[in-house]
Amino acid sequence: MAQIVNDFTVNIATANGTGSQSANLILLNSMFEMGVPVSGKNLFPSNISGLPTWFIIRASDAGYQAPGDNTHIQIVMNKDTWMADVEKAESGTIIIYNQDVKLPIERDDCTVLGMPMTKMARSINPKLARLMANMYYVGGLAEILGIDSEAIHSAVTQQFKGKEKAIELNMQAIGEGRTFARENWDCNIAHVVEAREKNPNTYLIDGNEATALGCIFGGVNMLSWYPITPSSSLAESIIGWIPKIRTGDDGGATCAVIQAEDELAAAGMVIGAGWAGGRGMTCTSGPGISLMSEFIGLAYFAEVPGVIWDVNRVGPSTGLPTRTQQADLTLLYEASHGDTQHIVLIPGTVDECFEYGWKAFDYAERFQTLVFGFSDLDLGMNQWVTAGFEYPELPLDRGKVLRTQKELDAIENFGRYRDVDGDGIPYRTLPGSGLEPILYRGTGHDEDGVYSEDPAVYHATVSRLKRKIDGARDLLPAPIIRNEEERQIGIVYYGSVENTIKEIDDILEATGIKVSTCRVRALPYHSEVEKFVEEHEQTVVLEVNRDGQLYGILRKEMPTDLLNKMYCVAFSDGMPPRAQVYVDMILETLGVTQEVKA
Amino acid sequence: MSLRPIQLNVIDLPKGDYTGGKSSLCPGCGHDQISNIIIQAAWENGIAPETIAKMSGIGCSSKTPAYFLGKSHGFNTVHGRMPSVTTGANMVNKDLTFIGVSGDGDTASIGIGQFVHAIRRNLNMVYIVENNGVYGLTKGQYSATVEKGSKKKKGSTNENPPIDLCKMAINLGCGFVARSFSGSKKQLTALMRAALSHKGMAVIDVISPCVTFANNDESYRSYNYVKANDEELHSVDYIPHFTPVEEVEIPEGEFKDIKLFDGSTLRLETIGDDHDPSDAVAALAAIHEAEKENRHVTGLLHYNSEMKTADEALDLTQKPLVDLAENEMRPSKDVLEEINNSFRV
Repeated sequence: MAQIVNDFTVNIATANGTGSQSANLILLNSMFEMGVPVSGKNLFPSNISGLPTWFIIRASDAGYQAPGDNTHIQIVMNKDTWMADVEKAESGTIIIYNQDVKLPIERDDCTVLGMPMTKMARSINPKLARLMANMYYVGGLAEILGIDSEAIHSAVTQQFKGKEKAIELNMQAIGEGRTFARENWDCNIAHVVEAREKNPNTYLIDGNEATALGCIFGGVNMLSWYPITPSSSLAESIIGWIPKIRTGDDGGATCAVIQAEDELAAAGMVIGAGWAGGRGMTCTSGPGISLMSEFIGLAYFAEVPGVIWDVNRVGPSTGLPTRTQQADLTLLYEASHGDTQHIVLIPGTVDECFEYGWKAFDYAERFQTLVFGFSDLDLGMNQWVTAGFEYPELPLDRGKVLRTQKELDAIENFGRYRDVDGDGIPYRTLPGSGLEPILYRGTGHDEDGVYSEDPAVYHATVSRLKRKIDGARDLLPAPIIRNEEERQIGIVYYGSVENTIKEIDDILEATGIKVSTCRVRALPYHSEVEKFVEEHEQTVVLEVNRDGQLYGILRKEMPTDLLNKMYCVAFSDGMPPRAQVYVDMILETLGVTQEVKA
Repeated sequence: MSLRPIQLNVIDLPKGDYTGGKSSLCPGCGHDQISNIIIQAAWENGIAPETIAKMSGIGCSSKTPAYFLGKSHGFNTVHGRMPSVTTGANMVNKDLTFIGVSGDGDTASIGIGQFVHAIRRNLNMVYIVENNGVYGLTKGQYSATVEKGSKKKKGSTNENPPIDLCKMAINLGCGFVARSFSGSKKQLTALMRAALSHKGMAVIDVISPCVTFANNDESYRSYNYVKANDEELHSVDYIPHFTPVEEVEIPEGEFKDIKLFDGSTLRLETIGDDHDPSDAVAALAAIHEAEKENRHVTGLLHYNSEMKTADEALDLTQKPLVDLAENEMRPSKDVLEEINNSFRV
């Protein structure tokens, strides 16, 4: 049989809370260690223990990081999903299963490989058998795919850092699994892994940890948070780093952390911190943003800096709390009642999670407004490659803060909300400074911050706010554009679709279409986005939601003559985006329109 | 031209440095009297106005920070959420003196969660509730603190039991819980001054009649009713740390001195039954007894100074976080390189 090298998808079906995450990460990390381009997706339930969970590992020399449209190897460990997992396997799939789960596998069209995993684990340690059983499929898979023993050892050591006994026991289990597979599994498998030269600088990290580090290097002074999946690990990572790298000379922390009573309070604390002159942030997911919305409007109108990270999960309502989606974009951009508009930074990689982690504070203080970081569960909670984070190239930008009487005297006709420089951004003074104090308020106010219901004053205030945020467009991260010479089809996308776009692009180009891509990295959108649409015959706005939220924003703000060049392709089922799904939709959308044109 | 001598406080500032803008509340509103007492207390205590932060939510009471301490920064936030904004500000600048003004709607209804949690954290602030039992700005609906059987000017009698914010604060372990009346200038000034000298959460629930919607005699929060039914636990005197405590001629056992954080003293002179403010159960009992007869018990209900404040509990660096330099906020390039390397295994 011809060998297929570094191009397969493994789906591992286990139960939540059985220790399978360790086994799965060992598989992922051992292949990564060999230089094989791999990605892992954890599809987990909203539950502590017992409900089904799947882990998808994709190996791809082409660098594809989506879960893949086909499964080549299916591992079945969970009795609750056993029948469905077996049934959904396509003909020719290799099915590896735990023989100790006494359930049938009737698939003559597949290669079926069993191992008494629990029984073997029990012989090593009866108490830990349930957890250890997972290491046997690691061993079996390592054997048939050809994963190096050294790479496995390195991954196990990494997983159980410093716990010598655990390393020894798990290595033994994996070894036994390997031996069993070699001696008992008679199979002729096409898929293999082959070592590639690994960039020694690379490592795997999840987006939440990357964002957390970015915030730490951004000088965060106050983190308020309320636990919510999938953002909790972002807060917990920040909490973990503070005592290590954010303490003063006296050993005390330079960042306060408060676990708030709810998201409303978390948002209020961010605003209080920003008002007092510090760098405050919170992190949450869609339901939290809904609750914070009133405060978000206050920050916008009273012009208080702050940072909120939204790690998007599936809505509406409680939705699918442990699945991924890009459906909070409109909410973030226009959160709160009345006319509002907020800066949204949209990372598509872990490097950008780090970068926007620190940059968000600079933008917030520069523009005296709330800045959102918009991540999602796929980016935030799965492991992605980085070659190492880059140190901020710029010093902290604390914005237009007047700290001394001299600075204040240099401003002619100072007023808290007076546009002295013509950029819509006024100067502010801080509580405690004694300089030009005002009573901040969410009610109408004039240029000096005094209560006003005057129509002209109100109109001037909201017009200046519009001008202020508009002025941010080309100062925010520019889109990443990959143009084809032909400028035929353009795809505008954002965020974690970055992990699927290459595969989508390759499949489309194989049909003869020339595809350029434009990844939007911030709202309000950069002028280059408009240029991209203008240059291409047709532009598809691709996103992981139902309604096409970026598409809606672009339609609202782009010149009218560009509107009929833009098409919406939006789809979301909670799964990380799979390339073929979107390719089919793009072809259908453009095909239909071509007919109409003809 | 004749010169009038101007009185200066202990930091040589005239009282005029503590006043604010013109009030837009109804003439005779209890809240305006409270504003005057805040001005008086801050001035007499000699707190530099720029070190004070005025915080409020939404409602008649929450508008008042515009009417006092014009040289202090302030934040009129959103309805019921003043405590969280204060918490964030306190975290980054623990050297500010926070005076929060709220109302009964703002605290006992929409903001009850934040009130509870600010107490639980022992946020270092003075939390004043200007408590009139009605929503004034929306034209006189009952609030959650109004007594059962009380009746406002228009509409039916309130049939729901009240939420007593002092009972709640005591049960939550608040270290300084007082109740007073906007018409009791002496008592409220002494309590306000003591609250400003206290470190940690100081709740003062001030009965403040709404002259427009609930100053009728059937209202348990009207001037006449409160004046007739105010049950003072003790008479209170504030003796600042910068004035030596005088020898007074009160028989021993008939007064208690409470030593406050800044060295000042609150002297409680017994009126009727002896009240021990360190005894939370006694405080609850006193409220309960008065409540049975629809009377208002006033004074320092409960005091306990032995708790860490929210900022102290966090083990922060000494310098207020807002004063940190860039190199204290952003770790060095070497630190990032070390982190990158540690992940590279």
